[in-house]
Amino acid sequence: MALRGPRSPPSPSLLGSCRHQVLGPPGSRFAPPHVGPASGQSHPKPSPGYLRFRSAFPMAPYLEVMVSGFEDFNRAVEQHKGKTIFAYFTGSKDAEGKSWCPDCVEAEPVVREGLKHICEECVFIYCQVGEKPYWKDPNNDFRTNLKITAVPTLLKYGTPQKLVESECLQADLVEMLFSED
Amino acid sequence: MAATAATAVLAALRGFFGRFRWRPQAPALAGGVRGAARSAAAGRPDYDLLVIGGGSGGLACAKEAAQLGKKVAVVDYVEPSPRGTRWGLGGTCVNVGCIPKKLMHHAALLGAMIHDAPHYGWGVPQQVPHDWSKMAEAVQNYVKSLNWGHRVQLQERKVSYFNMKASFVDEHVVRGVTKGGKETLLSAKHIVIATGGRPRYPTEIEGALEHGITSDDIFWLKESPGKTLVVGGSYVALECAGFLTGLGLDTTVMIRSIPLRGFDQQMSALVTDYMASHGTRFLRGCTVMSVKRLPDSQLQVTWKELASGGEGTDTFNTVLWAVGRVAETRNLDLEKAGVDINPKSKKILVDAREATSVPHIYAIGDTAEGRPELTPTAIMAGRLLAQRLCGQSKDLMDYDNVPTTVFTPLEYGCVGLSEEEAVARHGADHVEVYHAYYKPLEFTVAERDASQCYIKMVCLRKPPKPVLGLHFLGPNAGEVTQGFALGIKCGASYAQVMRTVGIHPTCAEEVTKLRITKRSGMDPTVTGC
Repeated sequence: MALRGPRSPPSPSLLGSCRHQVLGPPGSRFAPPHVGPASGQSHPKPSPGYLRFRSAFPMAPYLEVMVSGFEDFNRAVEQHKGKTIFAYFTGSKDAEGKSWCPDCVEAEPVVREGLKHICEECVFIYCQVGEKPYWKDPNNDFRTNLKITAVPTLLKYGTPQKLVESECLQADLVEMLFSED
Repeated sequence: MAATAATAVLAALRGFFGRFRWRPQAPALAGGVRGAARSAAAGRPDYDLLVIGGGSGGLACAKEAAQLGKKVAVVDYVEPSPRGTRWGLGGTCVNVGCIPKKLMHHAALLGAMIHDAPHYGWGVPQQVPHDWSKMAEAVQNYVKSLNWGHRVQLQERKVSYFNMKASFVDEHVVRGVTKGGKETLLSAKHIVIATGGRPRYPTEIEGALEHGITSDDIFWLKESPGKTLVVGGSYVALECAGFLTGLGLDTTVMIRSIPLRGFDQQMSALVTDYMASHGTRFLRGCTVMSVKRLPDSQLQVTWKELASGGEGTDTFNTVLWAVGRVAETRNLDLEKAGVDINPKSKKILVDAREATSVPHIYAIGDTAEGRPELTPTAIMAGRLLAQRLCGQSKDLMDYDNVPTTVFTPLEYGCVGLSEEEAVARHGADHVEVYHAYYKPLEFTVAERDASQCYIKMVCLRKPPKPVLGLHFLGPNAGEVTQGFALGIKCGASYAQVMRTVGIHPTCAEEVTKLRITKRSGMDPTVTGC
């Protein structure tokens, strides 16, 4: 099994140089998106196209990119052309950090947990698709161009490998998607 | 005397218990890997069922057993073809058989429809180019989605999956080796061998292995195969040659003796006649002598004409060998488990319960002797076997009257006996053959040649004239034949078929209108409504 990198929480002096953690301390830079069960704490909604970058020190971790909307998503894919890209599509979150899609809320911690198994040098795009009415429109960009029919969807970009809805809630399936080639 | 008695007692005990019993591991083996060896030592197998081979039969058996509550593992491994082609979970059908074949056949049929379209008013240009790479990518992507689908299904049903090459250590223990060389031992109460088969390379022919490809490779080519020589008269050969021709490629088929051995020969001749009059070149009664690579990277093929003794030669971009398939049993170390095979075919000998010479080891699908090499029979046999092993059922697989279809440019669907088989079994005097040449409505406006569109129903002459076999040559033959297979399974008689009202206008309805017998000598051509 390949080395995954340090699991200890980041110390402030090493902020920006440690592997992305699953559970960030509340209020820290790592907090959005909120990953545990809803705790009522408010977190700032990430601005569109916000890019979180983790440096490659000490061991090459994966890269997480947070995007909102179809254009943003495509831009992120273009930017990381040539790399293995995983993408997670979720209903957009409100000001309190809660998504309108209840399955997405349930699936997110499972996906976050599964990220421990992601390959190094991989890119993980976290994509908020939009508000509920936009999503329900049968001609929305994600449906027409990416054939994403439901949220949450977790997929390996450019391959037929994907997990849809309840499949995202199954930890072993999520682990399988992230680690298998 | 004493030895025989002892053997008999042991055999009786084995049969009586029929269950897993611990055997001391040879020191050399126990030294290596822990895990299975230890649990084997404890008398507990790792799994209730171990399936070797993740194809149509293997996966169906594994999923069924898991659903019935058993602890199941599947071990699947694809040895790359000599060309280096490899693929994922799902077996031959999904990756290098039925699925990509039907999709490419459909791509070719679409070409023919484009050609017909102007007759129906469409302003389609006559010369429409075909992009092999685009088609191949789409087909390959679909196949990969099936690989993934199987992977997810196994995981969801809690079936352990190992991508390892399996071989027997003894009758209850299998060794699996990963691509990277890592070894694992797996033990199981019951083992099902479903390793299928692979295409045969005629290694006796100079240059065959180095320069030719097989059906393992054709569906995974990223670039067009170009001018192709298909060697063989099997359905693999004819189906491949058929879609290659339909996609606009210069295609030649070389057949040593007869096409579609084992199928009704009158129908087989009509199949090849249609292909010959629609752009496929046939070299009959010829065998390849050598294949050489030229400086411009084309292939120079020389062949012998068996009747005249003469020689022929031509250049091709691709040579596709379709000269038979071999069961994948070579590397299983079957002797270590005591599983017997047919030394000629290398297939595993099985009884009506799919059991091998070892009571708790079974074999299904292409790897088993005497079975049709078809996905649906492997799947059904796998499911029934799982049900029997779980005590849910006593039903055995019925291999009679299995319908099938050859997806050549003009498709040939059949169920039951060929005319030759019926005559051999019952005698010509006791067999009545009803037949008709017909013209599909869709062929009329587009002025298509329907000379080979033909149906034949073989019946017993004695009332109630049960239908022994049905043979349909025409468009959508698979769809047409499927329903009639049910009729034959239920023992339909000629009278019942004639009492079945046809659906109009279709090709299938012509079956319900068969009145002319071969015996009468009358012209079997259908005329109008």
